[in-house]
Amino acid sequence: MLETSVETYWEAYSFLMHEAEVLDERHEREWLEMVTDDVEYLMPVRVNRERGEGDGFSEEAFYFEETRGSLELRVRRIETEYAWAEDPPSRTRHFVTNVRVAPGEKEDEVAVRSNLLLYRTRGSAPGHDIISAERKDILRKEEGQWKLRKRVILLDHHLLETHNLSVFL
Amino acid sequence: MIEQPTQGTYEILQDARQTLEEEGKLLAKVYNEPSIFELEAKKIFSKTWIFLAHESEIPWPGDYVLRRIINDSFIVTRDEDGEIHVLFNMCKHRGMQLCRSDAGNASHFRCPYHGYTFSNTGKLQGVPFEKEAYGPEGLDKDEYSMTAAPKMEIYKGLIFASLNPDVPPLEEYIGDMGWYLDFYLEKSPAGLEVIGAPQRWIMPADWKLAAENFIGDGYHTQSTHMSTIKAGIMRVKSPAYLKEGVQITASKHGCLFMGFPPGNYFNYPQSIVDSMLENLNEEQVEVLKENSIMPLNATVFPNLSFLHSSMAIEAEGQSIPYFTLRIWQPIGAGKMEIWSWCLVEQDAPEEFKKNSNRAFLTTFGASGTLEQDDAENWSGQTRVGAGEMAAQHYLNYSAGSAHVEPIPEDEWPGPGTAYPKNYVDFAQRHFWQTYFHFLLDGYNGS
Repeated sequence: MLETSVETYWEAYSFLMHEAEVLDERHEREWLEMVTDDVEYLMPVRVNRERGEGDGFSEEAFYFEETRGSLELRVRRIETEYAWAEDPPSRTRHFVTNVRVAPGEKEDEVAVRSNLLLYRTRGSAPGHDIISAERKDILRKEEGQWKLRKRVILLDHHLLETHNLSVFL
Repeated sequence: MIEQPTQGTYEILQDARQTLEEEGKLLAKVYNEPSIFELEAKKIFSKTWIFLAHESEIPWPGDYVLRRIINDSFIVTRDEDGEIHVLFNMCKHRGMQLCRSDAGNASHFRCPYHGYTFSNTGKLQGVPFEKEAYGPEGLDKDEYSMTAAPKMEIYKGLIFASLNPDVPPLEEYIGDMGWYLDFYLEKSPAGLEVIGAPQRWIMPADWKLAAENFIGDGYHTQSTHMSTIKAGIMRVKSPAYLKEGVQITASKHGCLFMGFPPGNYFNYPQSIVDSMLENLNEEQVEVLKENSIMPLNATVFPNLSFLHSSMAIEAEGQSIPYFTLRIWQPIGAGKMEIWSWCLVEQDAPEEFKKNSNRAFLTTFGASGTLEQDDAENWSGQTRVGAGEMAAQHYLNYSAGSAHVEPIPEDEWPGPGTAYPKNYVDFAQRHFWQTYFHFLLDGYNGS
C-alpha cells in the first residue's frame, strides 16, 4: 500500500536508482551534488547484543558520521592522484531493493527506506566483499530536484568483512 | 608455505634474526606464513600481556564485554563491588560458550546447554536439579566455577590479560614505555572514556605489518598519505612534515613524536591543554613546551597501538585532535581483525568530544582516509609475501643506521633510547628484534 502519491513514490525510487548508477560509475563529484548542504550521512557501529537490548546500533560510535564538509574532503581525496585505496578503483554494484516511501516530517521531504547489497571486488586478487544494510533516508526537494538530506546506514554486520570503506553506500 | 625437509621454521627464523641483526634486512616470508603464525600464537600471544578492553567500556557494576586472545574467548566483567574480572568464556560442565552477546549488563551468566549459572565474578551459583544429578551432597561449586585468565592487570585504565601465569608484572612489562604512554593516557586527571563501541573489521593483512607501522613509521606518510595532504585533511605545509621528530625505543615498545607549532598542542581545547601541563610531570612538560612535540603513534608489543593526531573534518577547516587505540588481532596467517576505539578526556567539552570522534572517523578506522590507504599497503605486502619468492627476499630496515646516532641521555628527558629523526628504522627493527626474541625463546639452535 502506497503512503505517498504514485508520482512521489516513483520520483524517490528513481532518485535511488540514479544515485546507485552514479556511485557504481564512480562519479563521486556528481554524487556530492545530489546531497543537501545540511546532509547527515551516518553509519553507526553495530554490537552483537541480547534480544532484549535492542538492535545493537551505537548512538555514539560510527563508521561514517559525515557532513557536507567532510564528504567534500573525502571526494577531494579520491580526486587526487594519490588515493591508493581507490586506484585501481573498486568494482562495485549497489543493489537497491525493498524501497518504501512515506511522507516526511516536512512538506518538501519524504522518508525512504531501502535495502542495500553492495558487491565489491578489488585488484586482481580473487574473492569479493559484500555489505548488506538497510538505509533510512530523508529526501528533500530543492528547486525541483530531490536531494539526500539524511542517510542512516544500518548494517547487517557487527564486524565488517571488508578491508576498508573507501566507497559510499 | 615453507616446507623444506632439511630446514624447519625455527631454523628459518634463526637465520632471519641473524640477518636482521647483522645486515638490517628482514626476510619477507615472515610477513605471511602459516607455520610462523602457529608459533606466534604459542610463543607470543600465549606468553605475554594482551590488551582486552578499556575500563570505561564497563563503567557500571554488571557491565561486561566479550574479548579474545587468538581463539580464547573471555568475558571482561565488572562485578557488584566494582572489581574487574577476566573470565574464560566456557562452562566447566560441557564446555559451552557461556556468554554469547558482545556487551551488556548482567549479574549472572546462564549456560544455555544445561543451565549452570555463574555470577559475574565467575562463581558457580546454581546447578539445575543438582541433587537429582549429583546426589544429596550436590556439586563442589568452587571446582566448577569459571576459570579466570591466568593473569589480569590494569595499567592506567587499560585492561590486559595473559595466558601465562608466570608473565612478569604488567608495569614491569610496560616499563620505560609508560613515560611515553602518559601523553596519551594522562592528559587529564579525570581519565579517558571510550566513545561508544569499537569499530571492528577484517583485513587480509598480517598483524605485524600494522604493529611495525605504528611503532614508528614516519617515513610512509609523505607517500601513502599524500592524498589527505592534497585534499586538506592533514593540514600540513609539506608532505615531509614528519621528517623531523624523535623516534623512541623503550622496553619492548616504541613510538614516534610529531612536532606542532609552539603553544599549539595539537589544537587541543584550552581546558585540556591546561590539564595536560598540570597533570604530566616536569620532564614531560619540558618536551611539550621546549621541543613542541608530542607522541603521534606507538606500539606496545605485540599488537596494541596508539595514535594521537589532529586533522580537519571540514573543507578548509581547523585541525581537531583525537586519540585512537587499536589492536591488530590475528585470526590466521596474513589475516587480522582490527578493533579500533576512539577515546577522549572525560572532562573535555561535549562538543569537542563529538568533533574529536569525527576527526578520528575522517582519518582512521575502516572508513578513515588515511587508514584506507594503510589497508591497501598492508594487504598488498601480505599478498606478495605469501609466495616462494618471499622466502628468499630480504627487505630494507636500515634507515638511519648509516648516519643517525641516539640523542645523548643528558639531552633527552625521557627514558629508553631517543633518535633525533623520524625517517629512521630503529623502532621498527626493535619491534622485529623483540618478535624474534619471543619466537625463538627456548630454542637452542640444535
